Amino acid sequence: MRILPRNATTYAVQAAAAPRRQFPTALLFVLPYLILFVLFRLGPSLAGLAIGFTNWQAVGTPQWIGFRNFEAMGRDPRLGEAFRNTVGFTGVIVPLLVVLSLALAIFLNRPYRGRALGRVAVFMPFVVMSTVVGVLWTWILDKDFGLLNVYLSGVGIANIPWLVSERYAMWGVILTTVWWTVGYNMVLFLAGLQDIPGELYEAARIDGAGAVGLFRFVTLPMLAPTTFLVIMLTIINSFQIFDQVYVMTSGGPGTATLTLVQYIYTTSFQFQKFGYGSAVTVILFLMLVFVAFFQIRAYRRGLQGVE
Amino acid sequence: MSIRVNRLIWYALLTVIVVLALAPIAWMLTTALRPETEIVTTDIHWIPRQFTVTHFEAILSDYPILRWLFNSLFVSAAATLLVLVLDSLAGYAFARMEFRGRNILFMVILSMLFVPMQVTVVPLFILFSRLQLTDTYWALILPVGANVTGVFLMRQFFLSIPSELEDAARVDGANALRILVSVVLPLARPALTAVAILTFLSTWNSFFWPLIATRSDEVRTLPVGIAQFLSLRAGMVQGQQSIGQSMAGAVFAALPPIIFFVILQRYFIEGISRTGLKG
Repeated sequence: MRILPRNATTYAVQAAAAPRRQFPTALLFVLPYLILFVLFRLGPSLAGLAIGFTNWQAVGTPQWIGFRNFEAMGRDPRLGEAFRNTVGFTGVIVPLLVVLSLALAIFLNRPYRGRALGRVAVFMPFVVMSTVVGVLWTWILDKDFGLLNVYLSGVGIANIPWLVSERYAMWGVILTTVWWTVGYNMVLFLAGLQDIPGELYEAARIDGAGAVGLFRFVTLPMLAPTTFLVIMLTIINSFQIFDQVYVMTSGGPGTATLTLVQYIYTTSFQFQKFGYGSAVTVILFLMLVFVAFFQIRAYRRGLQGVE
Repeated sequence: MSIRVNRLIWYALLTVIVVLALAPIAWMLTTALRPETEIVTTDIHWIPRQFTVTHFEAILSDYPILRWLFNSLFVSAAATLLVLVLDSLAGYAFARMEFRGRNILFMVILSMLFVPMQVTVVPLFILFSRLQLTDTYWALILPVGANVTGVFLMRQFFLSIPSELEDAARVDGANALRILVSVVLPLARPALTAVAILTFLSTWNSFFWPLIATRSDEVRTLPVGIAQFLSLRAGMVQGQQSIGQSMAGAVFAALPPIIFFVILQRYFIEGISRTGLKG
């Protein structure tokens, strides 16, 4: 009785150890996905990058014009505005979201009853779709009758023209986006916090660390990978901000909330300038590659510092 | 004593946080339920003095919002199903099978994570126009099937489970598909749940491509319908509707996922913390 399973195991181990070339089977497994991937992801990506080097305008045949689209960008003040707005939005929202979601995660990680309720409440806005969030906050940020301004006037701050003035419009969008996404980032931080072994805190406490010391020398370094992830995801998503802006301001007033993707949308699909619009997506692509490269390097260096 | 004070402060802060997080959603609901005269006023009261469902009736009769809702649900469900099937198969092959070019192919797939989807939008639009499939469900579903994160997550999960069971099944003469379906996938339920939730949420939320790919109410999804017809921004051509109607539409679109989330919140939060990636 004991011999049989042992034989079977040995056989299985041998079978597993022998390199199996499974080309036909593997192909059948990969092919369905691969067809869609090539048709709807890889192909369109390469084509999109290529169209950026043409003067295509929806009708007619596209002509290869080299870097001329990119040269034209230097003489395009609206694009400059869109670029500045996008980077500015990202520059404000990344630190804001990281600090706020980390604080919320630490707070809602304390072992009190009711923390589950807190987590559910903070995450809930994220399950509401972005355009609905936009419609809702357009109402809340209404200059005259919006909930926020009515309450603010109660403490002596009168009628801030949130979405209708160049000065405040982007802040309205930022406020909306923070409310919408802070729960998502908090959940990422909570997962990171729960992965920190409790012994580390005990050891630090025995060494005489106070609450601040524990945070600085245990929590923060141990959370570095999560923080890296949150920053990375927030930058990627912020560079592509579109939905809220489309619904709340359509880029206005003036160009105050014009973002890169909003600009891409109008250029390609309202003015039918496929070539130039695609060239701007190439810029967006390069921005993402740059950030990824920079972050991975910073991350590697950070890890070496820890070791 | 100090522990009690700590706890008191904690609960006070918790209350503030919960109120700030939920107040906008509550405000949307109570705005939708009151007459317009009670909306356009600086006299804020949270409970309407007079309840009314006229905004909901108006929304239902003036806009095909139920159709948009159905379209969103159908597209999200179909896309999720497609992704689960394709990505289980492909992820399993990348994790367990050896074939020529496997690693290079996988790197090519992963590299697409760096290419923003906006790059693909003009070619996709042309492609679907040529196929005469713009403004169809196909245009909304098929591109989701090409997503990268699902394949990556499934592969990583398959790599993390021991292969002894599969070897045993192979000794018993089961073929690869049989092994995947009856041995591996039952073990992969956490990964499947995570991929399903991420795919469903991101498709449900998806706006940029559906805005471009749809024209008719038969296909138009909820985010697009809401944005095009119920937006309150200044200068909207269609901005005839009242604030009450916009909020009623917003409630329609917000409630299904909120109810889902409250019931399934554990899976939502697990799924996201497991992966840390939006579809």
